[in-house]
Amino acid sequence: MRPILLQGHERSLTQIKFNAEGDLLFSCSKDHVINVWFSHNGERLGTYDGHNGTVWTIDVDSQSKYLVSGSADNTLRLWAVSTGKCLFTWEFPTAVKRVAFSDDDEQVVCITEQRMGHQGAIRVFKINGDGDGTNQSEDPLYMFHPIGSKATVCAFSYTPNVIITGHESGKVALFDVSTGNEILNNERAHMDVVTDLQLSADASYFLTSSKDKTARLHDTKTLKVLKTFSTETPLNSAALSPNRPYVLLGGGQEAMQVTTTSLRQGKFETRFWHKVFEEEVGRVKGHFGPINTIAVHPAGTSYASGGEDGFVRVHHFDDTYFRAKPYGDMEIED
Amino acid sequence: MAIPNGSSTSHEDIDAEIDFSDIEEKYRVDFDDGFDSVIVVDDVPIIDQSKLDRLLQKIAKDFSRKGAPIKPEDIFVPWDDAADKSKGYVFIDLRTPDAAAFAVAAMHGHQFDSRRQFKVNRFMDIEHYANMDETYIEPQTEEYQPKEHLRAFLTDPQGRDQYVTYRGDDVDIHWHGKPSQCEIAYSKKGWTDLYVSWSPLGTYIATLFRQGVRLFGGPSWEPQQRFAHPLVKLIDFSPCEQYLVTWSHDPISVPPNLPQGPEYFSPEDEGNNIAVWDIKSGHLLRTFPTSTLDGEDPTAKKQMQWPALKWSADDKFTARVTAGQHISVYELPSMGLHNKKSLKIEGVVDFEWCPHGEKDRDEADKASAAGKTKKARENMLAYWTPEVANQPARVTLVNFPSRTVLRQKNLFNVTDCKLYWQNQGDFLCVKVDRHTKTKKSIFCNLEIFRVREKDYPVEVVELKDTVTDFSWEPKGERFAIVSSNDPNLGNPGPGITIKTDISFFQLDRAKNDFKLLHTLTSRTSNTIRWSPRGRHVVLATVGSSSKSELEFWDLDFGTEDRREGQVVKEEWGSGIQQLGSADHYGVTDVEWDPSGRYLATSASAWRHTLENGYAIWDFRGQEVEKHLLDRFKQFIWRPRPRTLLTKEQQRQIRRNLREYSRAFDEEDAAEESNVSAELIAHRKRLVDEWNAWRAHCKKDIAEEKRN
Amino acid sequence: AERHALQVRRALVARRRELLAELSVRKEKEEASRRAESSRRERDEEAKRAKADAARKELERARKEIESIRTEEAKKLAQNLIKRGGLKVSVNEMEDLSTDSLMRLQVEQLEKEKKELNERLRIASKRIDHTERAYRKEELPLLASDYAT
Repeated sequence: MRPILLQGHERSLTQIKFNAEGDLLFSCSKDHVINVWFSHNGERLGTYDGHNGTVWTIDVDSQSKYLVSGSADNTLRLWAVSTGKCLFTWEFPTAVKRVAFSDDDEQVVCITEQRMGHQGAIRVFKINGDGDGTNQSEDPLYMFHPIGSKATVCAFSYTPNVIITGHESGKVALFDVSTGNEILNNERAHMDVVTDLQLSADASYFLTSSKDKTARLHDTKTLKVLKTFSTETPLNSAALSPNRPYVLLGGGQEAMQVTTTSLRQGKFETRFWHKVFEEEVGRVKGHFGPINTIAVHPAGTSYASGGEDGFVRVHHFDDTYFRAKPYGDMEIED
Repeated sequence: MAIPNGSSTSHEDIDAEIDFSDIEEKYRVDFDDGFDSVIVVDDVPIIDQSKLDRLLQKIAKDFSRKGAPIKPEDIFVPWDDAADKSKGYVFIDLRTPDAAAFAVAAMHGHQFDSRRQFKVNRFMDIEHYANMDETYIEPQTEEYQPKEHLRAFLTDPQGRDQYVTYRGDDVDIHWHGKPSQCEIAYSKKGWTDLYVSWSPLGTYIATLFRQGVRLFGGPSWEPQQRFAHPLVKLIDFSPCEQYLVTWSHDPISVPPNLPQGPEYFSPEDEGNNIAVWDIKSGHLLRTFPTSTLDGEDPTAKKQMQWPALKWSADDKFTARVTAGQHISVYELPSMGLHNKKSLKIEGVVDFEWCPHGEKDRDEADKASAAGKTKKARENMLAYWTPEVANQPARVTLVNFPSRTVLRQKNLFNVTDCKLYWQNQGDFLCVKVDRHTKTKKSIFCNLEIFRVREKDYPVEVVELKDTVTDFSWEPKGERFAIVSSNDPNLGNPGPGITIKTDISFFQLDRAKNDFKLLHTLTSRTSNTIRWSPRGRHVVLATVGSSSKSELEFWDLDFGTEDRREGQVVKEEWGSGIQQLGSADHYGVTDVEWDPSGRYLATSASAWRHTLENGYAIWDFRGQEVEKHLLDRFKQFIWRPRPRTLLTKEQQRQIRRNLREYSRAFDEEDAAEESNVSAELIAHRKRLVDEWNAWRAHCKKDIAEEKRN
Repeated sequence: AERHALQVRRALVARRRELLAELSVRKEKEEASRRAESSRRERDEEAKRAKADAARKELERARKEIESIRTEEAKKLAQNLIKRGGLKVSVNEMEDLSTDSLMRLQVEQLEKEKKELNERLRIASKRIDHTERAYRKEELPLLASDYAT
């Protein structure tokens, strides 16, 4: 399983995403650039230029038509995937930390940072797919300020108008975006900042990673913690592997905290854990710094990791990965 | 595992959170309600309103003077409204039952003024006395409570060992055996403020609190003894577990209201730092100041020697050195200076007692069994003095208590000496760091005294490099050294790992001298850990930020097939074989279990905070278990006392090993299939639960969509 | 007029002679340069040939050396294997063995040794474990009586 190294970013990666078909891989970075790559060979297809600050977050719709991105330049942008053209720009008082499309591609949720006297806000925009896509409404469909701990990550749940959020305090919660009400929360989901949140295919459960060194699987409906994966380093990202009962975790002590890196050179690892047994099954090393973001191909045939070192590594699983049945013949529902 | 540096952790940091509630719950005296801190003082003057304030002031003052500080507000004065005078008794709330008990003891019969003596009772008792049944009831004879067997841990039917771990605030005692036999034996939060320590034979576990040291033991981990040395930081047991030495950085002070008795400090102990205690009785035997050289600035920070007192192997003597002047030997249990005078030795730097070997103990046992007063081997100690003016440096062997000098050896160009006794007391190695005439470079001589032989012959092994570690094989005739000629030696810096060579030496029976057996070159290992049973040795790179290798070696590989007593001529050093290697990132401590079957390595949060936790390996270097645990601090195997089996019994067992093996093989096989069956069942259950939950989810979502 | 004509003729002849002489000189020169050129070319070719020769020789030598190293290595390998008692061929037969096959033999040998070591370790491990457990088992009754006293 020789990885493909994508060298198109000059600074650390912030988020990577496969499109629904899995043929494209989008990546954004602190170098202000968004790249799109062919996932099968790592060839760069193009870039989306325009942001004037760290691009914190991206998401692509299910038709691979539109891309949204949020940046430290206080803008949310809508792009045409195929032409690389910026179709619309929304401006805010503070940086955009997280964006996500709804299942039907009609809405985008975005989190803006709490800073300089501005409250953190969650906004939902309606995306107008008619015409060339440049005709968007300036104003959000819904907007509210979640009270308490800052939201860091979010995603739409399978219930209309309900989003799942992860917070700085370690809380996860369900919000009704139309009212701004917190429907349900689990204050003690994590003990530290929630760094990533990825949904299962049917959105009925989700995986979070946290600086508290654990990743957890939650029931979307009850927010109950179903599984816990405990590691020994702060985690930055966690991804579910479709069709296989594994979760992929990435992170690492930040460079500042590592006294000497010589021993750990290239040893920042993506950890594979068994989703149901909560046991570690394997590791893939390679990055020269902490892993910031992990994404798995929607068919589960490959995965990519983006690191603090500025590289994206794409791994295509080989046959043995699919043939291996380390836990016998038990059928596990996805 | 090393005890943390006394200054690195302080009581103050963790003071507030220790949870004693379980202990308190257990020992709570059962009063009926919350009045157990209230006392009743009778025969108080009856006064009117105008004198009330003055009276309360005086009572408070009297109480405070006797060590029960109270404020006038704590006193409740019942009032006779008809006469507008007090009723002649008062209630005082002392806040805690302990303080109340103390106040009752201190103030009962107190002469308040010329006419009055206070009569002080607990409030609860008054009620109790009032309701007392006057008829005499024969007190029930208390049933004889057998004291718990403190060595019950040795009687584990599965023959497992124990170890203690200290992580965050949790102290856990684990059983270590076959995978299915590994379990927690006992677990307690906030059991210690600083660290935990086993006594040398494993009988007690000591925990350190702000108030002092406590010992626990027995199958239920009941408290066995306590030693009230406030702010204690370091402790040391005597080899036979009869005595305990404690040290606190803060000089002993004895406030007037502290309890008194043989278990407590008295005013003459004030200002001292070191205390010696009798473990069985809990009595304080003696205290000492931390030694400082005469004329040396006592405020100057100097690495304190610990243990401060060194014990003879039989617990009969303990001694401390006053650098440059003398060694003071104290007799136990009186702790008086032996013969009322120290061993005056000009310039003395350090000394070590000779350990007692199994031979010595067997002889001593035999002698005592026969009731004979045959003179057992005397205790022996070795000390060294440095070069001064025209006098060479010197190592001396002395018998004690006779104080006869047995052997002296002069040494030249000496920078430093270290004394290493082999654990059976057969050999003493003096590692002499020597300098060339120009004092520019350092090399090393090993001066090996053969202590069991007539005239104590000394042999010298000369080495070109600096020797950084030396270690005798337990019960063996071999030793290992770490040597280095790395130019970075002596100026350690971050990221620098010193290159080292490891050499093994063995006593050549034919020539009767120590000969190089084998050298392993260009390593980074800086730590030698012999198995307590000898033969196996682990070389580790500890405390390095870039290297953390473990090498597992066998020095007698392939010789176990030989029948006992059979002598085979073989090539010198041919039995050395590396069994395995491993890596434990950030390792700070490496310890063998008492049986020499397993090795534990740990990365303690006291040293760094990267990947803390511990791992257990077998003697071949194969990982048995590994736990990465945040805030992990300490791992210590529980020591075991000397076996009760005689040499002959052990030989018998080895001879019949095949029969034992058959039974054990069966056990092991059953264990293995058991474990895998259990694991499969466990996983099946998890999968079933998961699949059921998934089915439920799918139904939910389908319904949601339909609506 | 005749004189004049003669003068002209003489002049013509002289000029012709001059021209002829010039021509022959030029021819000579050309001839010489051509000769020099050809001889230079010859020399060059000679040098090139020599160089090629040397290179070939060097190659030959290197090949020979590699060959000799290889056979030397093979010899050493084989001897090593023989010393360890794994190889059942004589030194004479060895000539027929290529380094590759020897290497394979060595790998097999190492594999075998590893297996043997593991097996011996397994037995040693069992022995040590069982001895300790037997000791502890036999110590149990002694501990009970020790407590009683």
